[in-house]
Amino acid sequence: MWKNYLKVSFRNLKKRKLYSGINLLGLTIALVSFFVISLYIHHEWSYDRMYSNADRIYKFNQEFVSGGEKQLVGTTPSSLVPTLIEEFPEVETGTLVFDLSIFSSVMVNAGEGNQEESRFAFVDENFYQVFDFKIIAGQRASLLNNPNQLVLTESTAKRYFGSAQNAEGKSLKINDQEYLVTGVMENFPSNSHLDFDFLASFKTHRHGKNPEWSPSNYYSYVKLRADADLEQFKAKLPKMVEKYLGEAQKENGFETAFYAQPVTKIHLGDQSLSSVKPGTDIRYLYIFGLVALLLIAIGIINYVNLATAEATERNKEVGLRKVMGADRLQLFGQFVSESLILTAGAAVLSLLIIYLVAPQFAKLGGVPLDLTLLFSVPGILALAGLVLTVGFLSGLYPSVILSGLEPIKALGNKVKIGGGAWVRKSLVVFQFFVSIGLLISTFVVKTQLDYMQEVNLGYQKEQVVALPYHYNMRKSIETLKQEMLRTGAVESIALASDMPIFIKAGYRIFPGGDNQNEFMITGYSVDKDLVKTIGLEILEGENFLDTDLSRTMAYDSSMEYPVILNESALQQLGWNAGEAIGRKVNFGGGMAHVKGVVKNFYFNSLHHGVGPLAIFIDPEQANVLLLRLPAGNPAVHLARLEQTWKEMAPDRPFNYKFVDQEYAQLYRSEERVGAVFGLFSGIAIFIACMGLFGLVSYVALRRTREISIRKVLGATQHDVLSVLSADFFRLLGLAAGLAIGFGLWFTDAWLAAFANKASIGIWPYLYAVLIVLLLALITIGYRSWKVYTLNPSKTLKSE
Amino acid sequence: MIQLKEIDKYIESRFQRVFILKGINLTINEGEFITLMGPSGAGKSTLLNILGLLDEDYAGEYFFGDKSIRKMKDKERSSLHKSEFGYIFQAYHLIDELTVYENIETPLLYRSVSSTERKSIIANLLDRFNMVAKKDLFPAQLSGGQQQLVGIARAIAGRPRVLLADEPTGNLHSGQAREIMEIFQELHAEGTTIIQATHARENADFGTRLINLVDGRIETDEAIAK
Repeated sequence: MWKNYLKVSFRNLKKRKLYSGINLLGLTIALVSFFVISLYIHHEWSYDRMYSNADRIYKFNQEFVSGGEKQLVGTTPSSLVPTLIEEFPEVETGTLVFDLSIFSSVMVNAGEGNQEESRFAFVDENFYQVFDFKIIAGQRASLLNNPNQLVLTESTAKRYFGSAQNAEGKSLKINDQEYLVTGVMENFPSNSHLDFDFLASFKTHRHGKNPEWSPSNYYSYVKLRADADLEQFKAKLPKMVEKYLGEAQKENGFETAFYAQPVTKIHLGDQSLSSVKPGTDIRYLYIFGLVALLLIAIGIINYVNLATAEATERNKEVGLRKVMGADRLQLFGQFVSESLILTAGAAVLSLLIIYLVAPQFAKLGGVPLDLTLLFSVPGILALAGLVLTVGFLSGLYPSVILSGLEPIKALGNKVKIGGGAWVRKSLVVFQFFVSIGLLISTFVVKTQLDYMQEVNLGYQKEQVVALPYHYNMRKSIETLKQEMLRTGAVESIALASDMPIFIKAGYRIFPGGDNQNEFMITGYSVDKDLVKTIGLEILEGENFLDTDLSRTMAYDSSMEYPVILNESALQQLGWNAGEAIGRKVNFGGGMAHVKGVVKNFYFNSLHHGVGPLAIFIDPEQANVLLLRLPAGNPAVHLARLEQTWKEMAPDRPFNYKFVDQEYAQLYRSEERVGAVFGLFSGIAIFIACMGLFGLVSYVALRRTREISIRKVLGATQHDVLSVLSADFFRLLGLAAGLAIGFGLWFTDAWLAAFANKASIGIWPYLYAVLIVLLLALITIGYRSWKVYTLNPSKTLKSE
Repeated sequence: MIQLKEIDKYIESRFQRVFILKGINLTINEGEFITLMGPSGAGKSTLLNILGLLDEDYAGEYFFGDKSIRKMKDKERSSLHKSEFGYIFQAYHLIDELTVYENIETPLLYRSVSSTERKSIIANLLDRFNMVAKKDLFPAQLSGGQQQLVGIARAIAGRPRVLLADEPTGNLHSGQAREIMEIFQELHAEGTTIIQATHARENADFGTRLINLVDGRIETDEAIAK
């Protein structure tokens, strides 16, 4: 029986090439999209689950409460891990990671000159007990037990020493400090939130020898014992804080707490917490998952639509089979087996295509796709399940319709399948609702992204280059500045602690003598040339002077130092610009007076508004030069500046970044969502249009005779088009209406994540609807043209 | 074997009932070879469809053996349909996507006949109708007469007790028609009950009984003298 089903199905599919082709292509594209998205989601979902006992590993975050404001950060003090190990029986072991790349890059010298490397971290000796990465060379137990020991990842070892085995026992000079390579580990898996090239023993670091409870610069992890009670453990943490930080809290008027976060929740968890690798907003995964399901639904709908439309052509066969004794179940089996074959074919085809597109998608989505997953046992089971589900869903409705035909009617003239038309129409509406909806979403995302790139940030980011320098160069930095200015290849240079696009450092501030009104403020340490270099607008008071610098440098705690506040800071202090100048504030533990007020500018992601900011002068904390280049080709200017740099700092690399490009980087995850939306809405439209083509083809076929008669009577091509398209355009209109409704909702939901919203207007809606309608018109137009050009004498004769 | 009592079949139009069959009383015994004649629209095909359980939308009583069709459950009716009836059509109605062999095989598949048994039944039929060489051809590659032979082979493959033929020779020229009628005669001789509808008087001579239908009524019902 099954053999017969298969044979008949194959012949049917072969006979109806257009119909099978459209279905096969539609299902294949839908499955490719589905697989790719699934693999992506699986990758994001699998983060940090590869360590044995991953369920017992926790990372610690620290909360600061001051002036009623809470701030949760991803880093903790260096004393936390040793204390937890020492005093908590629940803790099996723990480790601390100090990601140096937050602060600066390092210079690595293997005897052939300095190379700049940024993925460098100090980790303590328990690191490989908590995270059991594979050790390729060296002894796991003794890898980083002593100062000046170093573990390389496999690819880094290859880069410097040719192979992992070669690297063991060799030494590397990092920032002029000699390190012994005691081992080589596997490369960090792409789904680990940890990612470094160099891991040095934390004992090398000052805090490694003498842990302290301030500052909070270190990632802390513990592995609890299998029998530990997590809740009990958590409940005991406040006591520890009281014991070690109680006094400091009272003195400085803040409260702090530590929270344990499962290691598996880091990647998809709170995105505001700092981590070694940027995480993924879990909402995007939901959105992508939904898009994947919608695409599959569109593919299935194509099948259902075409198969029911085609049912009118197959009623004779169905009638005959019934007359010959087929019962409903047998017919059902035949039609479902047809859709199963098609789906299985599409699955095979899509696997081939995935092999081809995986590298491209990896680029777009930013993660590698693990294709071996598709061929693992669960992968194959999932695949089989998917094929069965999709095949069954596709075949279900057409089978019910076809197998339910009454034989006598089916054998007679072509039957009109009444119920089918209604369902078919709803499905078409759904397809185009999804297509237009996705397209609107794409345009909305794009509008906001464009807006963010073009919005006036309050300073000029174009033609500004950031040049990180090492603190070793601090003494000669003024000379370097002067030399660079003399080349004429730069208009102005400022020292700063960060690029202005994203300033991170948090400080506490309160009006002089009034520590009840303390609040958190972002601090930006610069020199006097910043205002000129990035074009800030001083509203009141004045910019820093050279004398301000010398005053700060005197480090006399009795002296006040000047700060420039932004409008938001003033607002929070409750002062207006005029009266603020000269007033005292307690800022970052010292006394300061307000020297100037700067117009608000965006120094954070546009997801947030402009918070309070204090600009102060402190070259000690600066580690980047901001250079305003004159008009003209930046490459020419940079070449001249590099020459000067080489003369002044021959052993330091000249690595510059354009501030506007770095700014664009801030919105990478949004760009990614935009790109994925764009891609998949294109795919959805394509599949839907194919389905539409198929449907119109059947309508055209059924009405060939009618159209021929119309033509004989003098109908123009335009008349034929309107005969064929009138019904469809009514459906598309309905779909467009629904999609616009969805778009309005989406716009609100998406823009809610941004403090600075673009005004969307009606254009995204208009464009989306027009584009889809135009494509639909072309699809229908092509088909109606084909019918129109048929010779009526032929079509009429055959009846 | 078959008994029809007061069978009415009508279409409800806006103002009146249009009767296609009215007051049909008919008893058919096993082994008869009946010819239904009458002008177009007399109700021949409708009567055949009712007899063959293809049309259940009528008034009156239909007994198969001693059982009332109307009182049967769907399942019983469907299995009766499968086991007792074979159908032959004017337009052959072969399935275009299936070869000669597969067309004959289809009813056997629906009757869950085992593979070896299927093979032997089909081999016998192909042999009997001289179609062995054509078993892998598709219907479109056969002449009308050959297609109707396949249609007959398919109809009798399941060994039905009743064979229903609706204008089996209507699309054939006289030579082919004669061949078909001779096969019917053979089947009749083997014990199959045959009911055919036809326009051609000469076909009736092959049978045992001739029924004339006019405007949905049985006008004459006579035995054919041999």
